[in-house]
Amino acid sequence: MNALPSVDSALRRRQRHLALDRRQFLRGLGACLTLPVFESALAPLARAAIATAAAGQPLGVTASGAPLRMAFVYFPNGALQRNWWPATPGAGFEFGPTMEPLAALRSAVQVVGGLDHKNAMAGNDGGGDHARANATFLTGMRARKTDSADIRAGISIDQVAAQHLGHLTRFSSLELSCDAVRKSGSCDTGYSCAYQYNISWRSPTTPMTPESNPRLVFERLFGSGGPEERQRNLALRQATQKSLLDFVLDDAKAVQRRLGAKDRDKLDEYLTSVRAIEQRIQRSESFGPLPVTSDPPPGGVPSDFGEHMDVMYEMLALAFETDSTRIATLLLAGDGANRAFPEIGIPEGHHYCSHHQGKADLMEKVGRIDRYYMQHFARFLEKLQGKKDIDGKSILHNSMIVYGCGNADGNRHTHENLPVLLAGHAGGSLQAGRFAQFSSQPMSNLFLSMTDRLGVSGLERFGDSTGRLAGI
Amino acid sequence: MAAWSGVVRWRRPWVFWAILAVLGGFSGFLRADAGRHAISSFHASVEPLLRTYCFDCHGDGIAKGKVAFDGFASDAELVEQRDLWWRVLKNVRAGLMPAEDGPRLTAEERARLEHWIKYEALGLDPQDPDPGQLTLRRLNRVEYGATVRDLLGIEFDSEAEFPADDTGHGFDNLGEVLTTSPLLFEKYLQAAETIVDKAIPRFPTAPAQRVIPGREFQRPGGRSGSDLRVGSQAALTHRFQVSQNGRYAVVLDLGVRRSFDFDPARGKVRVSIDGVEQRQWAVAWSSPGTKVEAELDWTAGPHEVRVELNPEDSETPQDAGKGGVQPSREAAPTGVVQVPSSLKEPQAAVPATLPPPEGTYVDLRINTLQVTGPLDRAHWRPTKNYARFFTRPEPPTEPVERERYLREILRTLASRAFRRPVDEPTLDKLVGLAVAIASQPGRRLEDGFARAAMAVLASPRFVFRLEQPLEEEAGRQFPRVDEYALASRLSYFLWSSMPDRELTDLAARGDLRKQLPQQVQRLLNDERSKAFVRNFAGQWLQARDIQTVSINVRTILVQSGRRDADLKTAFDAAMRRSLRTETETYFEYVLRQDRSVLEFVDSDYAFVNARLAAHYGLPPVKGDELRRVTLPEGSPRGGVLTQGTVLAVTSNPTRTSPVKRGLFVLENFLGQPPPPPPANIPPLEDSAHSSGGRELTLREALAEHRANPLCSSCHARMDPIGFALEHFDAMGQWRERDARQAIDPSGQLVTGESFANIQELKRVITGARRLDFYRGLTEKMLTYAIGRGLTYQDVIAVDEIVARLESQQGRFSALLTGIIESAPFQKQRRPPPVQAGTLTLHLRAVSPP
Repeated sequence: MNALPSVDSALRRRQRHLALDRRQFLRGLGACLTLPVFESALAPLARAAIATAAAGQPLGVTASGAPLRMAFVYFPNGALQRNWWPATPGAGFEFGPTMEPLAALRSAVQVVGGLDHKNAMAGNDGGGDHARANATFLTGMRARKTDSADIRAGISIDQVAAQHLGHLTRFSSLELSCDAVRKSGSCDTGYSCAYQYNISWRSPTTPMTPESNPRLVFERLFGSGGPEERQRNLALRQATQKSLLDFVLDDAKAVQRRLGAKDRDKLDEYLTSVRAIEQRIQRSESFGPLPVTSDPPPGGVPSDFGEHMDVMYEMLALAFETDSTRIATLLLAGDGANRAFPEIGIPEGHHYCSHHQGKADLMEKVGRIDRYYMQHFARFLEKLQGKKDIDGKSILHNSMIVYGCGNADGNRHTHENLPVLLAGHAGGSLQAGRFAQFSSQPMSNLFLSMTDRLGVSGLERFGDSTGRLAGI
Repeated sequence: MAAWSGVVRWRRPWVFWAILAVLGGFSGFLRADAGRHAISSFHASVEPLLRTYCFDCHGDGIAKGKVAFDGFASDAELVEQRDLWWRVLKNVRAGLMPAEDGPRLTAEERARLEHWIKYEALGLDPQDPDPGQLTLRRLNRVEYGATVRDLLGIEFDSEAEFPADDTGHGFDNLGEVLTTSPLLFEKYLQAAETIVDKAIPRFPTAPAQRVIPGREFQRPGGRSGSDLRVGSQAALTHRFQVSQNGRYAVVLDLGVRRSFDFDPARGKVRVSIDGVEQRQWAVAWSSPGTKVEAELDWTAGPHEVRVELNPEDSETPQDAGKGGVQPSREAAPTGVVQVPSSLKEPQAAVPATLPPPEGTYVDLRINTLQVTGPLDRAHWRPTKNYARFFTRPEPPTEPVERERYLREILRTLASRAFRRPVDEPTLDKLVGLAVAIASQPGRRLEDGFARAAMAVLASPRFVFRLEQPLEEEAGRQFPRVDEYALASRLSYFLWSSMPDRELTDLAARGDLRKQLPQQVQRLLNDERSKAFVRNFAGQWLQARDIQTVSINVRTILVQSGRRDADLKTAFDAAMRRSLRTETETYFEYVLRQDRSVLEFVDSDYAFVNARLAAHYGLPPVKGDELRRVTLPEGSPRGGVLTQGTVLAVTSNPTRTSPVKRGLFVLENFLGQPPPPPPANIPPLEDSAHSSGGRELTLREALAEHRANPLCSSCHARMDPIGFALEHFDAMGQWRERDARQAIDPSGQLVTGESFANIQELKRVITGARRLDFYRGLTEKMLTYAIGRGLTYQDVIAVDEIVARLESQQGRFSALLTGIIESAPFQKQRRPPPVQAGTLTLHLRAVSPP
């Protein structure tokens, strides 16, 4: 099989661009005719501005007052090292083969080298690098090695941020995944599958379940039913739900009183979830009408993986564009995923290939898979770059998006010098367009530098952090 | 600890008790005395064994596998290492220790060591075994769906609507692992509404209604179908009869399916009923779905709904921006297709010169056609399911009577839903909610009931399986659970669903335990027990995964030298379905016929249909139905190990994996998973060099691998088993050669038994290693049954079940009964009385001085 036919794909991309342009045009048109997309976004912004003006600490906004978004995208099994890293650090860097799809976005991305997740290393825990790669990625913590009893990772950085600025948007955070089908049987040796299918953790013991069905994501963001009935459907639904919540909250408390310590924790998860929804409904009333989009609702989970990634990225882009949330995670596949890629001529599984043992043919295939993932990420960034924010900049400009993996070299299961890309300018405070090379800093330091930009205060340390990442 | 507690016990007994209670019971205290005995018996009977058999590798300065028996501060500390002793017990039983190159334990010595570990080191009490710490279990999504079906009588596709549940130990029903996130609770709320709206009728009677699925429409040629490709010219028609004259409501629900990438095709849709146009509009990539509604006066006889699609110029911005729906009810009633000139404008954004992207499409799909009528009240009929929830034909009108009626029917529903009688305070709240809704203007009593039913479904009492101890045993350390809890444990084990009325009624009378064997048999005979097959076997044997496992048919066939086979059908969806059904049918047969569980390993029969017989190279049979066939003498098939499901899910997409297969057998069949691989796997490059450039066979490569002592201890266990299966390719088909190399299936287990091929290996497992298999299967099924991972406290329960299997020739019923009668299944730990304490303190704090 050939690699991706380049002429065709260029044509395809051009076509896609045109379709996008057309869509944007339509959206502009829609904005004149019906409810402007950003009308709904403005309300919380205004509120945010007021709130931050009072506190003196801008929360969740850029210097220009536009929403500042943070997302984390996880790809599995590390990266083929020689294809990933640019040759020279600094602004004069050149993309390696894996990042070539980002060529047009060069000025909007920053390659970050030298970040480690030491807590994903074996230590005394032995095998299980894939589970640890996932579990440590956004928590910076060592996951407790257990198949079921006492699961514990750590709170993840996106959830820390969500606790601080989640109230500014309709959804405090959004968790997405492209793992629609799960393998049965055990996951990585001795670790519960919870570690591999979740990267976002609300508390050290409770993962934030990600959504993999794009139709359900769309309905959460924009309501269900036809465009003209969504607002009414939501109002009805929320009225019903409010009447139920009091009962459920009361009931859960009554149940909890009778339980032993461990079971109380389980009920606590439930109670916390009930309260979260209660707050969401209360908040959503203050946000005014639902955002509208001219995009058609997607169907269920597409059978084609590339299409699944695209449509989940699309949902993420819509969520950011409509300011439905400013915090999101997307797990493209749990680490250790052994998905085959027949669509690019790779019948073998990804995990199998990633243990290439230096064999040229397998390395070539890993390189192609890495690039395939990158192509879809690039499409997403292009989309964000094409969307205009309220301050006239692009949504991408007003975002900070980490694309990375908790495994560095899939062949050897290393967790140092992780493959990390930081896309967007965070409204101007990130120096994109270069290869920033650090020498062995905890990934958690990067997280703190990001939450600083979001205006999260009082966060001295996170995970295994030793400080901030200066000069990104 | 022992000395410390001895002192404190004198001075402040209540502190001591409180702390012990917090720590989780009395076992710690009881251990103090037992501990002293364990040390003296250790010196007398175990220490000499360790010195003779173990210290070569695990003592005197050597700590192989990081284990050194003399590496502890004191013997007391060594004796207290329960996890270590549990591992010793497992390894000794599996024959892994003492290692094969050293002297072996005699039978007496082994028995002595096992006995000491169980009763002294682990301190297990066979008289009152510890049932273990069971965490509150949330219904997983499979159980949720089944419970809704049995409670309310409707299907709810919980696997599409809820996110996947996390798993541990290979199962998705473990309380510790099943967490609740805000997203999931949000889904529960929505599901409650969706389900109740679908399940609970709001009127005692309603016009007759039929819902015709889109796939019952027909194309002009007579073929059926529900989709029309936009851009083509096509039509779908459905003809049906109505038996009465009258007014009817018709709702045609149309959806749009599209590729992710934009597709420029557009078309015009025209819907007509009995030749009269109802609506006409343009459809394109960005169009949403729509509903066409009409009310018509019909005479009895045939009627026809027709959906026509005609190609149209490519999509223009204006239409798409409005969502593409262009009702035109005022259009001419004749069948003339009128194309408004506005739709003919040349498209501006997509130049015609560009070829359309590959694989893009837009389809108009008929979801359903709903015909309701006659609408006249005289023709209304009792609504489906009304009597399921409402005991009276019409709700009462008088307020007090209405509330009493609501209380009565809500008590029934809530008690069923909560799987135990609803308590009065909870019922009060439910009735309050129902009355509040039912007394609003324009609302019916049924609306109030429905709202309360939603609350029931969102309640933690529904979503979690709350358990209580038997009242008369509540003061015990390890009380049995009450019969309602037992009923649920049984039904979720064997049905993945809630208890039915018979179980609940028995529990209410306290007669369930008396009739346990009959009830287990009844549950198994019920159709719902297929869920046990699907969910347990589906996860134990990973048969669930066969439908999604990625297999590259071309590569596999080439490697096996079978270029003649049909690439398209060799491993298509139908084949995968057949394989899954084969494994489930096989499991079900062993279960229902109460065969020996050893037949999971080996048997002289198999279940095949025409395709499977060909796939396996067995004498041909006809048709799609699976049937039991007796295998030819010496056939390598029989048992589940050589079924396509297991062989495929343990392969890589392009080739078999002896390591994965060996691991699968060790983990799922012999209950002896090897320890995890070392974290930093040393690269195999070195071994590749030594081959002198020649491509090594898999066997050679793995032999090199095993030469590394770091790898050999586990690979020596996994690889021989995997190689015995090498005659089966990644689809489970027999092959003589692997990529032009001959296959050598012979090998030896680390326990010493050697075998020439897979047939002999199966006989080794069903013979010499039989107890390992019994234990392995018991541990898996017990994990599934009680919803938690096993700990050393479960050793007694597992041993008893294994002994039962051995004495009853491995019968499936011995396993099931053994599990159901075991302490972990029957009992619970008394929850530590933390709450009582805090509650008291709280009351003191708020009461006036």
